[in-house]
Amino acid sequence: MAKLLILLSIGLPWLGAVLVWLVGDQRSRLQHFLAVAFSLSAGVTSLLLLGYASASPAWNSPFSSSTISTAFGNLTFIPDGLGVFLAVIATVIGSLAVIFSIDYMRGEKQLGRYYAFVLFFIGAMVGLVLTGSLMLMFVFWEITALCSYALISFYNDDPKAVAGGIKALIMTQIGGIGLLFGAILCYTQLGTFEISALLNHFHEIPGNLLALLAFGFLIAAASKSAQFPFQTWLPDAMEAPTPISALIHAATMVNAGVYLLARFYPAFEHVPGWRTAVVIVGVLSALLAAVMAMVATDLKRVLAYSTVSQLGYMVYAIGAGGFYASQYHLLSHAVFKALLFLSAGAVIHSVGTRDMRRMGGLGKSMPFTRVVFITGAFALAGIPIFNGFWSKEMVLEAGLQGGPFWAYLVMLFSACLTAFYTIRCVSMVFYGQPESQHHIHDAGTAMKAALAPLAAATLVTWLLAGSLATLFSSTLPNHEIHIESTWMVIEEVALAPATWIALLVITAGILAWFGRKLLTRFANTLKGIAWAAASSFGFEAVNRSIVQTTLSAAEKLRSSQTGLLSHNILGILSGLLFILIILLFAGA
Amino acid sequence: MNLSLVLIATITVLGLAGIGIYTLLITRNLIKVVVALQILVKGVMLALIAAGVNSGNLSLGQTLALSVIVADTIVAVIALALAVQVRRHFGSQDIKNLTTLRR
Repeated sequence: MAKLLILLSIGLPWLGAVLVWLVGDQRSRLQHFLAVAFSLSAGVTSLLLLGYASASPAWNSPFSSSTISTAFGNLTFIPDGLGVFLAVIATVIGSLAVIFSIDYMRGEKQLGRYYAFVLFFIGAMVGLVLTGSLMLMFVFWEITALCSYALISFYNDDPKAVAGGIKALIMTQIGGIGLLFGAILCYTQLGTFEISALLNHFHEIPGNLLALLAFGFLIAAASKSAQFPFQTWLPDAMEAPTPISALIHAATMVNAGVYLLARFYPAFEHVPGWRTAVVIVGVLSALLAAVMAMVATDLKRVLAYSTVSQLGYMVYAIGAGGFYASQYHLLSHAVFKALLFLSAGAVIHSVGTRDMRRMGGLGKSMPFTRVVFITGAFALAGIPIFNGFWSKEMVLEAGLQGGPFWAYLVMLFSACLTAFYTIRCVSMVFYGQPESQHHIHDAGTAMKAALAPLAAATLVTWLLAGSLATLFSSTLPNHEIHIESTWMVIEEVALAPATWIALLVITAGILAWFGRKLLTRFANTLKGIAWAAASSFGFEAVNRSIVQTTLSAAEKLRSSQTGLLSHNILGILSGLLFILIILLFAGA
Repeated sequence: MNLSLVLIATITVLGLAGIGIYTLLITRNLIKVVVALQILVKGVMLALIAAGVNSGNLSLGQTLALSVIVADTIVAVIALALAVQVRRHFGSQDIKNLTTLRR
């Protein structure tokens, strides 16, 4: 049964992708319908899969008799708690994003291309988290990167969108290479690509090679999750249509890096320096992105920076040993960030700009959107009883217990900044004097149908803490989970002094926004930081210089390409000769 | 397989490959390039069969040789079609014409 459900969860979106494309752009109503039907059914199958979660492979080697198996090992699928949990997030939020697209993408040309890539992405994401083979994981990993690239550049007549797409593709490729490198290293040492083999027999790998493997995976995770020093691709990816930003660049694909770290944490936790490196990556991402979010004026970029910052919290939790806290925050973040992006999409669709300085006072004309946006914003800021509050407190708690104290202080400060930029964003968009002359309308029916469940989920998903812990502890033999019930989470959060300190800090952040006139004296001294943040702390300059160096090197190498066949043959022959000589000396 | 047969096969392979590579290096006529490529590939095919016989795994050698035949035929057909186009476009078969592909 589990085998069938896994097949359906991956296969249905892919089948839908082909069908939507075949139907053709003339029949857009049918395309909308097919996309919603296939993504919803994938959501249902992966929800059903929750009941069949287990630690043993459900689908062992579909190609066991063929040569594929001898070359790449068993291509297994394992429906364990971690995998199924992320598959549910991918398909459920995926189908909500598709429903939202009915209104958002109405009247767009080339809907077939749009929906085909969205559905292809959803299937690949499910495959990525459910597979038990590193090789297959790499394949799905690359498919998600390709879909992300194609959808960022969806408006391919806009040079900014194309540049953003290529930037995302190149930077996530660095991670792909890290993953492939790790997979091959695992194969050379253990003779298999199986994840369970790596988790159970990691002590058979020599220490220095295991360290290489661990840091290779850390690079992979950092680039995919837009963590320091690769954080620059995510804000530029905001050229994508907003449902894509909600689905791929907030709720699912960027979680793949966190998933990778969480999955292999038991194997790497004893590698010297690895946990500290993970903590540093998380802390720097959370802090730098939060500062950049405070000065950004593009609504979607603010949300993108906050995504980098919140992913930093998850990475930090893993580094501090809080596997459960990181996944709990992942769940909360996926829900409230999808909600924030989709309601931002409703605002942008209505106002026609992403610049927050040209919004303001939208609350009266968009009451529904205001309510849901503020729900998401409160969760992001970590205000009590919203899901973000519980999970962020769990992360800070785990950090205080397992991580260095300075890192905890920096994360606390980032929580203060988060509250500040969230309130700034809400008041710039929904309050104050109306700036836009555009005719404003509230979200459409399909948009509301996607936003309402997410807003409701933002209020209640923290109650799933106990079930999530049971799901993990019953199917993940290599991970340690100390949580037993939701009540335990409530008790742990409410009784910890850390929570009260964090709440004080968050309140300080909120008050700082309202009292910003009084703080202007400080603001002048902080101008330098604001300027540095607006220019992304010099990371863009580094990127530009790398691109320039590559281009000029390529231009110089052009002279070696004469285009004459005889020259190429000579090159091939001398290469062959070179290899033969090396073999001769190596053999002797 | 006795030694003399191995020797004959090796010499033939080296001869065919040598002729093919030498022609590829010196010729500028596109048709001759295709012919040279064919000679070179025939040498490679023979090498595959000989290696199969020598290692006692003839069927593997034959399979590989068959795959090479298929790929090689496609290469030859497309190369000849391109040669015709080059001739029509530039009025000669000289491969130096093709360097105009560089900007």
